[in-house]
Amino acid sequence: MKILRDHAILGAVAVFLIAFPFLIALLDGQSIGAMLAGQSGNSKFYQGLLIEIFILAIFAISYDLLFGITGLLSFGHAMFFSVGAYTAGIALKSLKLPLPETLVLVVFAGVAQALLFSIVLPRVKGITFALVTLGFASVFHIVIMSHELNDWAGGDVGLQNIPKPALLDPANQRLTFYFVALALMLLVYLFYRRFVDSPTGRVCSAIRENEHRAQMLGFNTFYFKLAALIVSGITAALGGALHALYQPIVSPTSASLGYTVNALLIILIGGVGTLSGALVGAAAFRLLQFYLDKLFGESSSFILGVVYVALVLFLPYGIIGTWRAKKLEWRAAWQARWRAWSAARPRGK
Amino acid sequence: MDNLLQVRDAHTFIGQFHILQGVTVNVPQGAITALLGRNGAGKTTTLKTILGLTPPRQGQVIFDGQEIQGRHTFDISALGIGFVPDYRAIFRDLTVAENLQIAERKQGDLARRQELIFGLFPDLKRLIKLRGTQLSGGQQQMLAIARALVAENKLLLIDEPTEGLAPVLIEQMMKAILQLSAETTVLLVEQNFAVATQLAKYYVIVEEGRTVKSGAMPDLLKDEATIHRYLGAA
Repeated sequence: MKILRDHAILGAVAVFLIAFPFLIALLDGQSIGAMLAGQSGNSKFYQGLLIEIFILAIFAISYDLLFGITGLLSFGHAMFFSVGAYTAGIALKSLKLPLPETLVLVVFAGVAQALLFSIVLPRVKGITFALVTLGFASVFHIVIMSHELNDWAGGDVGLQNIPKPALLDPANQRLTFYFVALALMLLVYLFYRRFVDSPTGRVCSAIRENEHRAQMLGFNTFYFKLAALIVSGITAALGGALHALYQPIVSPTSASLGYTVNALLIILIGGVGTLSGALVGAAAFRLLQFYLDKLFGESSSFILGVVYVALVLFLPYGIIGTWRAKKLEWRAAWQARWRAWSAARPRGK
Repeated sequence: MDNLLQVRDAHTFIGQFHILQGVTVNVPQGAITALLGRNGAGKTTTLKTILGLTPPRQGQVIFDGQEIQGRHTFDISALGIGFVPDYRAIFRDLTVAENLQIAERKQGDLARRQELIFGLFPDLKRLIKLRGTQLSGGQQQMLAIARALVAENKLLLIDEPTEGLAPVLIEQMMKAILQLSAETTVLLVEQNFAVATQLAKYYVIVEEGRTVKSGAMPDLLKDEATIHRYLGAA
């Protein structure tokens, strides 16, 4: 009950997203039976679009924990996602592992790369940390494109023909995939909320504000940053694994700086450090991309740039951040009005 | 009286600048010691040196019988040294309650100490749900000191607690520091000479990074030449 009370809006959004494929099918005149059988139509198409949003949201929320909550600016975050995608792809295709073992491998890969990034944590901070992480990601990008790994990673074309588990085949079982991706995104969000509200999460927020102050209170900040890196690394890797299961190809560009910038853009649009901003931002980012592309074709990139600039100018704290700030202002204004009204009201004897 | 803290001939550099050039400070147990000196004399650097934020290149820092120079700040803090910096170092994005909770070293620290904390700063109880950004300067200072009281520290380093406060708040702050000195030893950096003399039992004067005089506060009050020479106060 407490979860429902604390996350009423999230609950409403979850109910809407569960009903969404059915609503679209009904609006489209498609029978529920045909929709459940995975027949083509608007419902199946929008399920696909929303799956992409859920995956982006998982990736972006992992970046929000690292950058928005803990204050670790990383330019190599795409590597976390890409390692998850390639690990899942290679495990399923070349190692012929079943899905559960593949996911365990993905989690280990997420932890391993977090540990790799943590080697430099005590030595570098701020922009230097960001550049070192970019270095790690660039090396990974080059390695997966190398000819020597062609048979495993697919070279510069990318990893193709990944066998999809029958239950999660996005072509035939898209609705199942849709619900799995939705459930994973919601679980990740709830877990992150819990993490941020925990004593460990509070120290992570304190590190973002001022690491020295946190140390003055007796915290070895390295371990807290490492914890954030590991949680973020596992989450992004799981997002990457979902990407590998959904997309027909895992491209090396998934390890590029552009992919990290996408995560940064998403949390800037949604609201840095808000967590829910990553979910809202992912939806805004992908839907803008999709509809502007549909409307303006090749010119859409230019318009998209203008929209991003406008968003940052008019919503400086992102959609969720600005909403929270305005809500505080409105509440203060209403309280002031109420006090003025109470003071002016004639009192009875 | 036993010294809880001893800084012996500390030399500290910040970048290429030799800031502390031989600071010696003895802090007797169970009393307030004032660290006095003009702006730029090295008072704040001395506190940071004790806490390992700017470790000394030469000299010793002995706390509770063990040498602590060269250790990490979090290790030194965990030994029982609380620091209240002059820049009201609260976490502005956290609420008052969260700012206090984060200072717990052991679970239940806050519950055990809340009577003392809210007794010293009753306003904080009323502001408990507000974020750091919503507090006034005085309230932030109260919170910074309250946070240092959550864990049972043996020594509190307090840097310029009355700086920028209104006179009525200075009174309140002085009362609070006197009260908490019954619980813990205090090393106080205070520019306001009148405040320092009312609070401290002992003093140490630093000038250009060196300790030039130390002793009992009543003796300093009789020594007008020293006051005039090093502190510029009449």
